[in-house]
Amino acid sequence: MPIMMPASDQLVLNRRDAIVADLRAIVPGEGVISSAAEMLPYESDALTAYRQPPMVVVLPETTEQVSRVLKYCFDNGIKVVPRGSGTSLSGGALPLEDAVLLGLSKFKRIREIDFDNRVVVTEPGVTNLAISQAVAHAGFYYAPDPSSQIACSIGGNIAENSGGVHCLKYGMTTNNVLGCELVLMSGEILRIGGKTAESAGYDLMGIITGSEGLLGVVTEVTVRILRKPETARALLVGFPQVEAAGECVARIIGAGIIPGGMEMMDKPAIHAAEAFVHADYPLDVEALLIIELDGSSIEVDELIKRVEAIALGCGSTTCRISGSEAERDLFWAGRKAAFPAVGRISPDYLCMDGTIPRGALPRALSRIRDLSEKYGLGVANVFHAGDGNLHPLILYDANKPGEMDKAEAFGAEILCCCVELGGVLTGEHGVGIEKRDLMPYMFSEADLNQQQRLKCAFDARGLLNPGKVFPTLHRCAELGRVHVHGGKLAFPDLPRF
Amino acid sequence: MQIRDAADVEAAVRAAIAGEQPLEIRGHGSKQSIGHAMATNAVLDVSALNAVTCYEPNELIITVQAGAPLDDVLSLIDSKNQEFAFEPMDTAVLLGARSGRGTVGGMIGAGLAGPRRIKAGGARDHLLGAHAVSGFGDSFKAGGRVVKNVTGYDLCKLLAGSWGTLAVMTEVTLKVMPKAETERTLVLRGLDDVTANRAMTAALGSPYDVSGAAHAPHPALRAAAQGLAQGLAQGLAQGSARGALAGLASTGQAATLLRLEGIAASVSHRATALAAELASFGTAELIGGAESAALWRDIRDVMPFAADGALGAWPVWRIVCPPACGGAFGQALARDTGGEVIYDWGGGLLWAALPPATDAHATMLRRRLAAIGGHATLLRADEGLRRTVDVFHPQAKGVAALAERVRQSFDPKSILNRGRLVRTSIS
Repeated sequence: MPIMMPASDQLVLNRRDAIVADLRAIVPGEGVISSAAEMLPYESDALTAYRQPPMVVVLPETTEQVSRVLKYCFDNGIKVVPRGSGTSLSGGALPLEDAVLLGLSKFKRIREIDFDNRVVVTEPGVTNLAISQAVAHAGFYYAPDPSSQIACSIGGNIAENSGGVHCLKYGMTTNNVLGCELVLMSGEILRIGGKTAESAGYDLMGIITGSEGLLGVVTEVTVRILRKPETARALLVGFPQVEAAGECVARIIGAGIIPGGMEMMDKPAIHAAEAFVHADYPLDVEALLIIELDGSSIEVDELIKRVEAIALGCGSTTCRISGSEAERDLFWAGRKAAFPAVGRISPDYLCMDGTIPRGALPRALSRIRDLSEKYGLGVANVFHAGDGNLHPLILYDANKPGEMDKAEAFGAEILCCCVELGGVLTGEHGVGIEKRDLMPYMFSEADLNQQQRLKCAFDARGLLNPGKVFPTLHRCAELGRVHVHGGKLAFPDLPRF
Repeated sequence: MQIRDAADVEAAVRAAIAGEQPLEIRGHGSKQSIGHAMATNAVLDVSALNAVTCYEPNELIITVQAGAPLDDVLSLIDSKNQEFAFEPMDTAVLLGARSGRGTVGGMIGAGLAGPRRIKAGGARDHLLGAHAVSGFGDSFKAGGRVVKNVTGYDLCKLLAGSWGTLAVMTEVTLKVMPKAETERTLVLRGLDDVTANRAMTAALGSPYDVSGAAHAPHPALRAAAQGLAQGLAQGLAQGSARGALAGLASTGQAATLLRLEGIAASVSHRATALAAELASFGTAELIGGAESAALWRDIRDVMPFAADGALGAWPVWRIVCPPACGGAFGQALARDTGGEVIYDWGGGLLWAALPPATDAHATMLRRRLAAIGGHATLLRADEGLRRTVDVFHPQAKGVAALAERVRQSFDPKSILNRGRLVRTSIS
């Protein structure tokens, strides 16, 4: 079933030529793209199943231009969709027919590296990896490391509160960002936080992070950087049953050990990855854990022994310990290539992203197996096991009629299962348009109303990235009513777009 | 009204909205003297919401009602060798309350983290989920029970540190962490504040995983020692937590403290390596185990400025600034006011006890902070002073306006803790 988006504003579309001309006056030269052919690369993000050419693409270069573009759109009632590198997996940057697509790709300068305060001040279009590379010579790095870090921008990381394999120990984006320069939809430029550990007043940075481009446009970011640990080593541990691997994860955490990363793959994912990168993964196991320990070399050596003992106690059938950086990289190579590897064994796949309590892992897996049979579609599982973040990859063929719909229904059932097991709809990819209509499964009407009221505090006219995250649009005025009386709805039957 | 559950809180808030009667939200009242006097005479007491709903040590999470006594919760998780990694401070030492450390809701509402903030984050980083009642009288939930969650806006971040002005929390889910097996503290002696700041910067920029970096100039240590003597005389000393820092005063030198935590072999190795790296700052002494833990409790609770100590009558500021600026800033502040300063977070957090002045030096302090990008909260002051000085740092106009719109989006009629954050002519 196609995802419904907010109705296009015909009056805005009628004025398209004038709007393009006005925007060219604000952002000169090649900063405004309006031809259909040139806008083609912008018609989707990494959730490529959905495509929509924007009304016009604007690529400003300065904060002042961003401010003027937003103020112009605000004054003229024009919607705006912000975009970083376009690597969102949930459709967060999917354009709207009647909206300006505001790309931040020209904001790619690192403004300041301050080792004494252990921060980097950067523009939002800089890639995640580039920040680490810029400080690597001094032994520092930026901790959150989404798999797309070579391409994804730090501004997009803030929009999505991105994680990665190291976030179990070092936190997500929200735990590593200290401040930003933010442009509101009205064009107002604000500075939130800075080089301090905490900012004064309400934690506005905390709410902007993960807000999926609905609250404001970030034009500068201050992130904290960490000194690299002395050493890192990894274990590659195979289990004859998935449940045993789940038990091993629980026991490691229960023993007070927080690994730098703890990832899990099931049999189909192991086989696909091995065929793709030849990481020498064992092929006779049902589940594979990659456990990385980092810190001082003495600590890592000791923890490796403890983890190895726990793994044996859980019935591991293979356990290899990296003896060199090259070997550690090889352990990870398969995991990092798991998504493209699965792409080779199936014409299409749908990558899901839910989180469950770690202890519910075996139940979640058995449920996914049952659903796989119900829908007649294969599935390969790749998990951030340490924090319960699941990435089932649902295998399907878009050329077979009805199969994409089946895959989507399968995915929705998995996410609902995550919520039933005490988890959430998305652990790191965001809600976007992909999981938007599932939000009422996790949140009551009152929960969603409170979130949308907050949206109104930033964007009272609802012009910034509408149609994302929330399954229905509200006018701020109607949300502002104080309900003194009246019962709560047991389950909201929200109108959809 | 007797509050027994979240539905009661909802009913109480709705009644308050209907009657346009603002409410002071109170747990144990341990932090009542922080902030401006609230423009209300009605109290919503949530201390009866004190149950531990669910504790799953293997999942590293605990769910408790907001009124649960923090001391009880800390004992419970301690029994499984776990803790709140952000080291919530015990404000009773500084404020002079005698009622224990307050409630879990108060801990989140205040969001005051201790020394490990530099490594483990603050209260906001450990709040995974909350149930709360907004100023619309609606129960809502924020976040969830898992560490990795980007479903919708992260409302928990706003609740932490909001001083009860956005919603009445009824239940919270917090991340707990395993306690380190061992800890040791390196002590460097006799450094001036600026040099100590440099030593802490070097330590925090090293690969040795420092989990606490603090500096107590000698006058502050002396104040701690005097406070201890005074406290002992009054029979108020509270066990070993009082006096560890005072013990360092005997040498007559400032003390710069660097904490290392982890498994024993690793801590020894890192201590040796860090001492070598910092050799140009002097020879480091090593303090281990319980004594080290007591030192960091004293730093966390700002023991040198204890309410029953030598500087108990002085107003105390909590100043947050870029860490590398702390030493020079604090040194000048102490020199120019005759006050005393101790440093935590590697220089990023300053506690300043300043001699009485009409505005508690607020104007000068905040003017200087503007130059380096920091902010200051007047954490301890009598009510008269709090009536004339902005307790919380005034924000830039646009940010303040946004913050006010955010507040209104939770509580349009300003029913909850009205007037606590922003000084008005009537408060």
